Parts: sequence; structure tokens; C-alpha cells
Amino acid sequence: MSLANSRLLPSFNRPPSCVAIVRAQSYDLDLGALLFQALREFDLPLRGKKVLLKPNFVEPDPGGVVNTHPAVVGAARECFLRLGAESVRVAEGPGHERDTEAIVETIRLRDYLGPLPGLFVDLNLDEVHPITLQTRASKLRELYLPKTVLEADFVVSLPKLKTHHWVGATLSLKNMFGIVPGCCYGWPKNILHWAGITRSILDINSTVRPDFAIVDGIVGMEGNGPIQGIAKPSGVLILGDDPVAVDATCARVMGLAPERIDYLAKAGTLLGHLKPDKIRQLGESIASVRTPFAVLPTLQKLVAGNGA
Amino acid sequence: MDGMLPSENGGGEAYREAVNSGQLANTYCRHFLITNQNPDGGWGYHRASPSSVEATSWVLMALTSWSQAPALTETCARGHAWLLQAQLPDGSWPAFPGQRQGCWTTSLASLALHLQGGSPEAVVRGLNWLLDAWPADGTLWWRLRQFLARSAVVHQDISLRGWSWTPGTASWVEPTSHALLLLRSLPPGLLPPRAAKRQRLAERMLYDRMCPGGGWNSGNPLVYGVAGVPRIGPTAWALLALIDQPQRAENQMSLDWLARAYAGIRGATSLALAHRCLAAYGRQVPPLAPALGELYLQNRFFESVLAVAWIALAWGGEGSRAGKTAGESLTS
Repeated sequence: MSLANSRLLPSFNRPPSCVAIVRAQSYDLDLGALLFQALREFDLPLRGKKVLLKPNFVEPDPGGVVNTHPAVVGAARECFLRLGAESVRVAEGPGHERDTEAIVETIRLRDYLGPLPGLFVDLNLDEVHPITLQTRASKLRELYLPKTVLEADFVVSLPKLKTHHWVGATLSLKNMFGIVPGCCYGWPKNILHWAGITRSILDINSTVRPDFAIVDGIVGMEGNGPIQGIAKPSGVLILGDDPVAVDATCARVMGLAPERIDYLAKAGTLLGHLKPDKIRQLGESIASVRTPFAVLPTLQKLVAGNGA
Repeated sequence: MDGMLPSENGGGEAYREAVNSGQLANTYCRHFLITNQNPDGGWGYHRASPSSVEATSWVLMALTSWSQAPALTETCARGHAWLLQAQLPDGSWPAFPGQRQGCWTTSLASLALHLQGGSPEAVVRGLNWLLDAWPADGTLWWRLRQFLARSAVVHQDISLRGWSWTPGTASWVEPTSHALLLLRSLPPGLLPPRAAKRQRLAERMLYDRMCPGGGWNSGNPLVYGVAGVPRIGPTAWALLALIDQPQRAENQMSLDWLARAYAGIRGATSLALAHRCLAAYGRQVPPLAPALGELYLQNRFFESVLAVAWIALAWGGEGSRAGKTAGESLTS
């Protein structure tokens, strides 16, 4: 499971990370083929592994702006199976909406994955176990976490490329809030807000660090994200073996300075790489796909090129 | 799992007909809940998953809403005993046994025990814990910090307080509604004087947190000046908690929103809650069976105990009259 991947390493001790940027202008493309080609570059140790995909499903939104698009989830599942995974399940614990069934039925996840019972797990209502957090950035110390996550061999964070009105951007690290079970902490999981969003992001990801991240940036969200922003077609999938490096690359694509996003800057010290010279870039260059995202006036300091 | 419905594989049209005709209510729900009781007497969120306080409380309320057939008596008694055993020494209930801290499930467990009858001491201990459990927002220190920060993130009366999901966090719509449902269900003689103050404050909090145009979300009606989008669940819970004021404009506006949203609901729990709420207020609402039948055929409600319990409660409310008390609105 991903706890095995949670070892905290100072950046200078961590080998370089690898991030790929894939152009994809539409969800109607053969995303499975595009992703598979990119994933083969990573030589992932997947044979016989239980893979868990953790998308970002927030609320029933047939418009496809708020949630990770089910076409991306379906393509990722197909790819990990082709790469030798023993099983690939999809799991999410939405933060505000208790009726997870309503979300997955509204976005028609079934159309991309087939029958959902047994394949999709509502992490909000899963069996839970107490886990001591690997860092003490917050005062949480311990969280009850879902069995489905703890038993997975390989966790993939599968968020959408979105701005966030409190922390700047919500990407693969922030997406891991969704593993915290609502049945213990409520809807929203307010304990994480009171413990500090940045600190909670660090504690959760130090304990269950995603083994891989794939960000749905085909259509992202800008402005007052992560729920009330507006669609931002960006035409990219961004994936890699280090969630910090993937998020940093996403931020750069969005026109934001990752080192000014508090949780990313801190994650860059122990959880992964933030600096470009430690990230091996595959596929498209950042410059060729850069699509500046609008952010709220209070977050203008995060925009690359603005005075810090 | 199918219980007494015709087999899906062999049944074909008969299966679909059984699902859509209401057999889902009469046979499947009851069978599902009874057969998925854990050996320890409680219920988990899914078959064979560890017993949880929330799931057990809702199943007990659902079973109580049916006539007390002898076959159910023992099932309910074992569930009742499990809940009593799960209560913490301070009177609260955690989400799962073994957890050291009580939380929002205390309202549900107390309500389930009260509605089932018996164990008034346990109910009073739960009630007292709830009445002493103030959320962390709304304190003088908190309000001072908000003032100094000149926070423009949310626009709400921060002096109003209800109940939080977990100790040390803020007030939210759903746990506040659950606590109000309990307070309104208990006989006045059981309520200490301080209960009235908390009830009034919590009701004001709920009305303050209503989204512009009616309905509730988890508790943020306006963020950065943008109106929050109401959600089915919180709206139904808040309306059920505020059912003693049915003609109030906010209630009517929110009922209108819920009625408009009803046709677009794609989840069994939301559908059941919305139906239960609209029926409790005496609103005309389409029969449940066809819509639930479609969802069942798609995903079998994800085999969720909670979903089936809420569906059973909703079915218990079909054709019910308006003007019920909060407790009655859930279980009769």
C-alpha cells in the first residue's frame, strides 16, 4: 500500500522526478491510447498490484467542470490494467455531498467503467482504521483512514486542474483530502480546516503519499474554484511519479508560481520536487501549453511574474 | 442480496416489474436490513462491514417505523443493546466503537433509542452531552479574530451556533438539524432549562445559513459574495428540523426549491430524504417506487445499509399528513 511510499526524503536526497505533459483537446479523443503511450515511459511496477484511482468527485455536475471527467478515470483504469495491475478500483469520499451515488450517476461514471458496485468505493462510508500520521505539521496526530486506501498497493491521485479560493490551486496533493472518511469527520471534513488546510495536506500526503498522479486539465476551472469557478479549457493531461512535481508543473501551466503556494512550497522540502531542475520533463514543454488561469484578487500574489 | 425479489438473471421482465411495483419496499428493504444485521447486533454501512453508530441508529429508526412484528422484536432488541454498549462514559457516541471521542452520531443514537422506547437514562446522558457540546465557532475569541481579520470570505451571523460534526469545529447544517430533531422529539419533561436556549439559537443559525433563494448546503450560503448552491440532503434535514414552523417564508421557499429539484435527483438517499421531507410537509410528491426502481436496477443502491434504511423511512411516510412533530416526521 501507499504507506510504503510515504518515506520522507529531503529534496537533496530524492532522485529526480518525472512528469509528462500530454496534449488532449477533448474528452472524445482516445484518451486510453494517449495515456498508455505516456505511462509506458514510466516503467511502473504494477504487475500483480492492487491499484486505487482517487478522482476528485465533488458534487453532481453534469456540466463536467467541477469533477474529474469520467472519461479520464475510465482511460486510466484501462491503462493500469493493460500495464499488468491485478485490479484497479476507483474510490472517492466527497467533501460536501453525502450522496456519492448521485454524483457518480449524474456524471455517468458507469458509461466509462461499467457496473459500479464492487468497482467503485465510497470512502466516506468505508471501514476505517486509526493511523498515526507520519508528520506533525498539524495537531491532528492521528486520523481514521479507509481500509480500501490502506490496502491498496499503488494509489493514483486523479484530480482536476482547478484554482482554489483558499489555497490557490487544488491538484493531486489537495485531492487526498477525499480519503478522509466523512463517517468519522462529517461533511465537510471540518477537522481538516480547523487543523489548517496547508498543514493537513502535508500530514495526509506524508502518510498516504500517492504513488502516481494524473491531472485532468482537458477542461480545468479558474476563478472562484474549486466549485464556483468557470470552465477553463486547457487541453492537457499532466502525469508523473511524484505528486509534488506534478502539482508544481500544473501550477506553472496555470501561470502560477508553485513556490508561492504555501502547501506546495512546504511539500517541496520532504514530499517531492518543486524545482524544475529536479523534474525530468516528458512530452510537451510547459511553455507550449501554458494557459494562465484567473485567480481571485486575494490570490494575485500567486501569479508568476507578479511581485511576491 | 436480492432477498425475495425474482432473480435478476432469470427474471427478466418479472424482475423489473417486481422492482417497479413496490415489492422493493415491502420485501427487499425489510429483508435486506434484517439479514444484514451483524452478529454483534449492530449494522455497518455495508454488508459485513463493522457496526457503526450512524448505520445502526438509522436502521433502528427504519425498523421502528414498521409495525412491530414479532420477527422484528428480537432484531430491534439486539440493535438497541448494541447502541447502549457503544455509548461512551461521558454520554456521547463515537462514529465507531473503539473511538475515544463522541461526535454528531450522539443525536442519532439518542433519537433512535428514544423512538424505539426504553433506556431513558441513556437518552438523557446523550442529551446532556449534546447540550454541553458547543461548537468552536461563535465564541467571543472567535468573533474577535474574525473581526480583526476583516474576513470577507463568508457572510453569516457568526454569533449563532448550532452543533458541529466533531468537537472543536464549527457549526454545520446537518448535525445541527439532527440535534434539533432529537430536542423536538423528546417530551418537555425530559429537557433541562438550557435546552430551550440552544434550540432557539440553533434554529436561528439554520435560518441564517439558508442559501439565497431557499434550500441549504452544508452551511456556507455565501462564499466570497457568491450564492452557494443548495443540496438535497442538508435542505431536507433542515426542513425536517424546522417543521414546527411550516408556514414560515423560508420553509416554503426551501420546499419550493426541493420540489423543483426532485425530478433531477439521481441518488437513492437524496431521493428518499427529499420524498420524506416533502411528504412530511404535505406536499404532493410523485410515488417513490418507479424512480427508486430505476436506481436499483442501475446499481442496487451500492448495497448501502444507510440508503436502504432511509428508503424504508421514506416509504413509511408515503401519504403521510403534514403538521407532524419532528420525530413523527421521521418514523410514521
